[in-house]
Amino acid sequence: MIYAGIDAGSRAIKVVVIKDGQIVAKGQAEQGIEQGRLAGELFDSVLQEAGIDRPQVRYIVATGYGRNAVSIADTCVTEITCQSLGVSRLVPQARTIIDIGGQDSKLIRLDLAGRVQDFAMNDRCAAGTGRFLEVVAHRLSVPIARLGEAAHDCKTPAPISSMCVVFAETEIIGLLAAGRPAGQIVAGVQRAIASRILAMAGRELQAPVVFTGGVAMIKGMDQALQTACNKPVEICPLPQFSCALGAAIMAQRIFEQEGGVPW
Amino acid sequence: MILSPQKLTLEQWDGHWDLLARQGLLRPEHCGPLSRHVSDGDTRLLALRFDNSPAALQLWNLLLTEQDRLWQWKEGGKRLVGTMKDLGTVPVMAYSLDDLVAFYPDGAWWTPCVMEMNQQLLQIADSLGIDESFCPVRAMLGAFVNRNHFPIPDLLICSVGATCDDFSAIAQRLNGLGFPILWWEIPHRRPPEPWEEAVQIGNGLVAPASLVSLVRNELDRVRSALSALAGTDLDDLKLQAAISRANQVRSLLASLNRLAFTATLSPLPALEVLIAQMLAIHFCSDLGKTVDVLRALLAQAKQRVDAGLGYGRPDDVRIFWVNPPADIKVMNLVEDYGGRICGTDFMFTHALDPIDLDLPPMDALARIALADPMVGPVCDRARRIAAEIQRFGCEAVVVCRIPGASHCATEGSLIAQYLRQTCELPVVEVEVPSLVDTTVHVFENRIKALIETAKARRRG
Repeated sequence: MIYAGIDAGSRAIKVVVIKDGQIVAKGQAEQGIEQGRLAGELFDSVLQEAGIDRPQVRYIVATGYGRNAVSIADTCVTEITCQSLGVSRLVPQARTIIDIGGQDSKLIRLDLAGRVQDFAMNDRCAAGTGRFLEVVAHRLSVPIARLGEAAHDCKTPAPISSMCVVFAETEIIGLLAAGRPAGQIVAGVQRAIASRILAMAGRELQAPVVFTGGVAMIKGMDQALQTACNKPVEICPLPQFSCALGAAIMAQRIFEQEGGVPW
Repeated sequence: MILSPQKLTLEQWDGHWDLLARQGLLRPEHCGPLSRHVSDGDTRLLALRFDNSPAALQLWNLLLTEQDRLWQWKEGGKRLVGTMKDLGTVPVMAYSLDDLVAFYPDGAWWTPCVMEMNQQLLQIADSLGIDESFCPVRAMLGAFVNRNHFPIPDLLICSVGATCDDFSAIAQRLNGLGFPILWWEIPHRRPPEPWEEAVQIGNGLVAPASLVSLVRNELDRVRSALSALAGTDLDDLKLQAAISRANQVRSLLASLNRLAFTATLSPLPALEVLIAQMLAIHFCSDLGKTVDVLRALLAQAKQRVDAGLGYGRPDDVRIFWVNPPADIKVMNLVEDYGGRICGTDFMFTHALDPIDLDLPPMDALARIALADPMVGPVCDRARRIAAEIQRFGCEAVVVCRIPGASHCATEGSLIAQYLRQTCELPVVEVEVPSLVDTTVHVFENRIKALIETAKARRRG
């Protein structure tokens, strides 16, 4: 049986297709205004590349911020549920998930069986999200994918005191004017994001801590989180796809265990 | 005849009203159709869905005609008492005297929601230096200034001390604008030291006798002021009679809550249960009508439960809700997402507890005022919530934040943390502004994730 998950995130759409519980195809595309159409096109191209006909896919679950626009999905499930399923499949021992995306960040606590115990979300403020890094990348004229390299091995992160991205940008301009190297500024921003995430955690994080979401691919962010929470932080394999994988797993569960009736 | 429970839009209610009227199912106390309130400016009603029972119609009409009622009382020679901050003590005292009517100016905090900001109340507060860093109850300042929402009361009484910082600042600003206020102090509740005399103040709480005595003395000052305003002595007999009537309201609400939170299907929507609970604070300026409305609602709920009728599905996730939402629409939305409200703490739970009739009335009132969950340590409030969660078998908790409200910022996270640890339930904190529309996706995402989490836990 083949199932699919579509994660319609704020910055990118991700598709994962599974067969017998294994990933057989995946792909991603930039998010845009016509979210439903973009998701459909990406889905079709992923299937085509993998040589899978659309009718072979028994059930599709959409997740992510734009999930309601994905009309090809059979049902929608939140990122909290999908991310926990995806990460638990990729890192079965995970007890805490830190998910930092382009527009929001989440902290999910799992029990020993990998079920969600509790979660916290930051979706009202850009200061704990990838958006903060985008702003810095733009200000420093560095492609976001290479932002981490700029901060590589920085031992003296610049202090970024603002809890607001808009004001932090002003601070960054001041730091640049004062001659602080770009690497120190990037490291400072990474530290600010990490401290924001830790504030969201509210209390001690249970190890193992797994870091996922698009921001997990930016070099140095895992180190910043590790320093902030004083625990090893493991980057999830396929961090940009873990949520879509969870959606595909959910699709399988709904179809096989719930008779196709969503919760 | 039992009407099958159904949530209706305002437009649908108009047609339904005509039908009920033709069938002779409406009596004068049910009043006219709800849509007439939109022309008064209550445009948020257009975004809500309401229970279809005549009892619910009566409830909404009582709520939405309060302003008219206050003007009528005033023109009829009654003296109006604005009872601020205190939720459920001073109104009981005021209603002991026939010539006094108490109301709750703080209730204007919902006006930006109900009138969808079209009265500019928050902007008036802004202009007076009380900006969005304060609780939306600052709308009350605007209501006093534009004089469009209630008559200016003959006496303003406000509790201060261990009350919320926002409100104290706002009330002081009001005072500074030329509205004299009789302040009475409510001290921070603390447990007695070993050498102090301890007094049971209700709901399992104990306080030093000296604190109870302090509150009693403060309430004596209030008693004198009310007596002077009415021109008649507020004696213990009158107080006792008013306490009995207040207890009647509290008892009806307790029965209503029990039915709403424990029946297989909820006999009333969460929105109507919220509005009904609000009547406990000051009886919507008419104690008699409040009793009638609650009796009708309770009878309706019992009929539905007996007939096995109600809202939602038996497997809807049982949610405990902490703090009142600034936009009442979210109560509709939670049910749309598959949640069911099975327990609430809207910050005035002591106003739902019976007042001890075996004590001298002023002592009983002092104790219930001191039992206010908002004037003691946050752990007292959290413990009470945890007990209610257990009592009603809740599976998840929503801690609702009011933007700018100091209580929410400080207490909300602590309560959430306590409940996570002691009840081991998923807890979500969510901020609800006066109009949720632009952030509804945030609200939806959090509530749906909470519901999914609770359902996944059921599956083991």
